[in-house]
Amino acid sequence: MKILIVDDSSTMRRIIINTLSRIGYSDVVEAEHGKAGLEKLGQGGVEMIVTDWNMPEMDGLEFVQTVRGQNPNIPILMVTTNAAKEDIVQALQAGVNNYVVKPFTPDTLKEKIESLLG
Amino acid sequence: MDQSEIDALLNAGGDKPEGGKSKKGKDAQSASPSNSAPVRRTEPEPPSDGQVISELDAVTAVTERETNKVMDQLDTISRLVGRQQELITQVMKHEGAQVPAVQEAIRDIMASGKEVQDKVFEAMDLMQFQDITRQKLERIVFHLRQIHDYIVDLLGTGLKSEGERASISRTIQSTGTTPDEKKAHADSVVEEYMKSKAKG
Repeated sequence: MKILIVDDSSTMRRIIINTLSRIGYSDVVEAEHGKAGLEKLGQGGVEMIVTDWNMPEMDGLEFVQTVRGQNPNIPILMVTTNAAKEDIVQALQAGVNNYVVKPFTPDTLKEKIESLLG
Repeated sequence: MDQSEIDALLNAGGDKPEGGKSKKGKDAQSASPSNSAPVRRTEPEPPSDGQVISELDAVTAVTERETNKVMDQLDTISRLVGRQQELITQVMKHEGAQVPAVQEAIRDIMASGKEVQDKVFEAMDLMQFQDITRQKLERIVFHLRQIHDYIVDLLGTGLKSEGERASISRTIQSTGTTPDEKKAHADSVVEEYMKSKAKG
């Protein structure tokens, strides 16, 4: 199970990778913004995406919309500081499957990832 | 703002005042030696907006770098504890360690090692504060830019701030600081949306 992590903060990517490895997902690829995320996705093999919202170059919302245009089925989890109701709804409308607000606990990330992977 | 700064502002047409108070440390001392009149620069300094942003970039870059150093140390501790657990497991199999009291002591050591490991992971998770703080700072700069542009409009001089470099969160207030503080709220919005979508 290869997971793509898109976040402009290297600290955050590291925390997510660490949490994923503790729950048994160690095959990960990283990207620092949406544009780089699309490149990684184009290389193939990615089965799930964990993305931030606020990023330079291409933000998470635009990234999700672009991905959904190409792949309607890949599970996408948004992990962001944006906590307003309208933000969450906007992300869901763009095509994310679930939503985690930072800061999160590893249990929450685990719960969301496992629910998305069924 | 003293008179020299007001004069500099008017002369520079919105550029940062010469020898201004916003210049920090050694640079500030060299730009405006004590007990002397402010020295006029031949080249205009970048707008104060640019300086605030570059200072912010420096702060976030340093905190991110230092946070990663802490993460490196935590990774090392985690690896060492893991290695210790492996060694203890080997010791448990040793003939001389089969005495019940010794086995119990070893199990206690293993449990204590597991506690250390859990605390290390907990500390790593808490490093999320760096990203949260960075985004809060970006929000503050966004407001500063708006004030800057408003003043530029009002005075009709100076340069407006550069465009957005990254999307930022709508508000600082809605950003949580405690892990999972916003989980129930986010989950309820997601659930409500999914239900309404299912209904069509």
